[in-house]
Amino acid sequence: MITWIRRNLFRSITDSILTVVSASILGFVVFQVFQFVFVTGRWEIIQVNLKILLVGRFPEELMYLVGFSVLATCFSIASLASGANRTIETTQRLSGRLWELFQRFGLIIATSTFLIVLAGDLDAILFGAYVILSILGGRLFGRARRNTSLRKLPGWLWVTINALLPLILIFLTMGQAALEEWGGFLINFYLAVVSIALSFPLGVLLALGRRSTLPLLRWLCTAYIELLRGAPLFVLLLLAGVALEFFIPASIAPDAIFRAITVFTLFTAAYLAEVIRGGLQSIPKGQAEAGKALGLSTFKITFLITLPQALRNVIPAQIGQFISLFKDTTLAGVALSVLDLLNVGTAITKQDDYLGQGLIYESLAFVGLLFWVGSYVMSRESQRIEKKLGVGIR
Amino acid sequence: MSNEVFKDASQMSGGRESDDAIIVIDGVYKRFKEFEALKNIKMQVGRKEVVVVIGPSGSGKSTLIRCINRLETHDAGHIFVDGTALTTDIRNIQEIRRETGMVFQNFNLFPHLTVLTNVAIGPRRVRGLSKSAAEELAMELLTRVKIPEQADKFPAQLSGGQQQRVALARALAMTPKVMLFDEPTSALDPEMINEVLDAMKELAQEGMTMIVVTHEMGFAREVADRVVFMDKGEIVEVGTPSEIFDSPKEERTKKFLSQIL
Repeated sequence: MITWIRRNLFRSITDSILTVVSASILGFVVFQVFQFVFVTGRWEIIQVNLKILLVGRFPEELMYLVGFSVLATCFSIASLASGANRTIETTQRLSGRLWELFQRFGLIIATSTFLIVLAGDLDAILFGAYVILSILGGRLFGRARRNTSLRKLPGWLWVTINALLPLILIFLTMGQAALEEWGGFLINFYLAVVSIALSFPLGVLLALGRRSTLPLLRWLCTAYIELLRGAPLFVLLLLAGVALEFFIPASIAPDAIFRAITVFTLFTAAYLAEVIRGGLQSIPKGQAEAGKALGLSTFKITFLITLPQALRNVIPAQIGQFISLFKDTTLAGVALSVLDLLNVGTAITKQDDYLGQGLIYESLAFVGLLFWVGSYVMSRESQRIEKKLGVGIR
Repeated sequence: MSNEVFKDASQMSGGRESDDAIIVIDGVYKRFKEFEALKNIKMQVGRKEVVVVIGPSGSGKSTLIRCINRLETHDAGHIFVDGTALTTDIRNIQEIRRETGMVFQNFNLFPHLTVLTNVAIGPRRVRGLSKSAAEELAMELLTRVKIPEQADKFPAQLSGGQQQRVALARALAMTPKVMLFDEPTSALDPEMINEVLDAMKELAQEGMTMIVVTHEMGFAREVADRVVFMDKGEIVEVGTPSEIFDSPKEERTKKFLSQIL
C-alpha cells in the first residue's frame, strides 16, 4: 500500500506537487458538493414538486398508464437482453460478475432509491417493487426463449412480440392525456425515444443514399446532410416554431411537441448518416465481393453483410449522437415553450412559496442529475453491447 | 451470333468439343486505365477438368478468374459459363455466380456471422432453402472439410487454414458447377497450407471442375489436368503438368520456372 502510494503519487518532486494540488482541488469540490447536498441545500422544493418535475400535470386518474408503460418497458428490455442469441461468452468469477452488475445497475438503483425516498409514500415503494418484479419476470421470459421451442422463432418476430406491449402502452399514454397536460422529464424522455427511433432508419437510408450509384439520389442525400449539418439545432427549432404558420393555418398546425420531434429527427438523421457512412467505408471490399460471388443481390449484400458490420463498428459514435439528442431535448423547452424538465425546473422556483429564495441551484442540480443518469446509463450500455458483440475481436 | 463464337472458340483451343467445355473464354481484353491486364485471352475448360494458372504477380491470373464470375468486367471478347454468355444483364450475372463458387486469398468470411451461418447463407438467401435445411446442408459440408466442431464459433476464433476450409464449404454450399480459387493458400502460414490443399485435392478427385490460381507447384503437378502459364496479361503456354514443368517450350516459361523452383 505504502509502496503503491510512493510509486504512483510521489515519485518525483513534480509528481508530489501535482498530487498535492489535485488532491486539494478534489477535496474542495467534494466538500462543497457534500455541503450543498446535505447541509445548505433546501430540497423540499424538489420533494413537493416531484410529480410535476417528472410528468408535469399529467391527469391523476391516468397515471396508471404511465406506470404500466414503465413496467412493460422494463419487462421487455430485460427479456430481450437475456433472450438474445448466444454471442462470445465470457466466463468470470462471481466477484467479477457482481462488479459488472453493480456497474450496470448501481446508478439506476441508487437514483430510483433516491426518488422513492424523495417521494416518501407507499405508492412509490410499491412501484419500485413492481419494477423489480417486472425485470425479473422479463429475465425469466427471455431465458424461456433459449430453452424451449420458442427458440425457433425468427429474431425479428421475437423483438416485435417484446416491443409490442410497451409501444402500445406508451402510445395509449400519449394519446390519453392531452398534450398540454403532461410535461416534465416525461417529455424529454418521450422526445428522445421517438426521435431516436425515427432518426435511426432515416440515417441508415441517407447513408446508403449518399453511397448510391444513382447520381440524383446521391446528390439529394448529400445536399440534405450538408444542409442540416450546417444549421444550428436551436435555429432549426425556432424556425419550426414560426415557419410552419406561413404554410398552414394555426388552427390545424401541429403542436409544439410534434414540431420538436420532426426537427430532432431530421437533424439527428443527418449526423447519424455521416457516422454510418463512415462505418460502411470501413468494411473491406472483399466482403461485398464474397457476397457477390455467392450470387447474393446487392440489396441482400447490403442488409445481411455490409450494413450489420458497419453499424456494429460505429456503435460508440451512434450512441454519442443519441446522448447528445437526449440532452438537446431541453432546447425544445426554450425554443418552442414545451413544458419540459428544464422549463418546469425553472418554473417551480417562481411558485409563491419559493419565490426569490434562490432555489434555482437545487432545481437545476436535480434537472442535471436526471440527464446525467440517463446519459451515463446509455454510454455504459453502449460499451457493454460493444464488448458483447466483440467489436475489435472479430 | 453466340453460337458462332462458341464454335470459333472451340477450334482455337485445339479441337476440344464445345459440348465438353463448361467455360469458354474468347478474345477477352481487360484494361485498368493505362495498364493492360488481359490481352486477347482464349481458353476453354472442360467438365471435370482441373486447370491451374501460374505466372508472375501482375500477370493477370487473378483478373482472369475474377472476370469469369464478373467481379471484374471484361472490356472486349466473350465469356461463356455453361453455355450462358456473360452480359451486363444483372440476372444473367447472378445466374452465373450461382453456378460458380469462389475461394479468395483473404478468405473473406463474414466476421459477424457464425461459421455455420457463413456456410448456410448462400443456400438460404440465394437458393431460398429453409433455415433448418440450409443449416443441415452447411453442417454436412463442414463435416466434409473436417471442421464440424467449429460450427458455432466465429471466423476470427479459427486458424487461417480452418477459415479457408470454411470458405471452401461456403462456396460448395451453392453446389456450383465450377470452382474458382484465387491464390487460396497465399495468405496462410506454411504449416496450414497442406490442410487446404488436401481439401482441394479431395474435391478434384470427386470430379469438380476447378480453375486454380496458385504458386503451389507441387499441387499443380499432382492435381492439374492442364497448366496455363500467363505473363503480362497473355497466355504464354498451355500444357499438361509434365509438359510445362519438365519441358517448357517458351523462354518466358523457362525463366519463370527457374526463378521459383
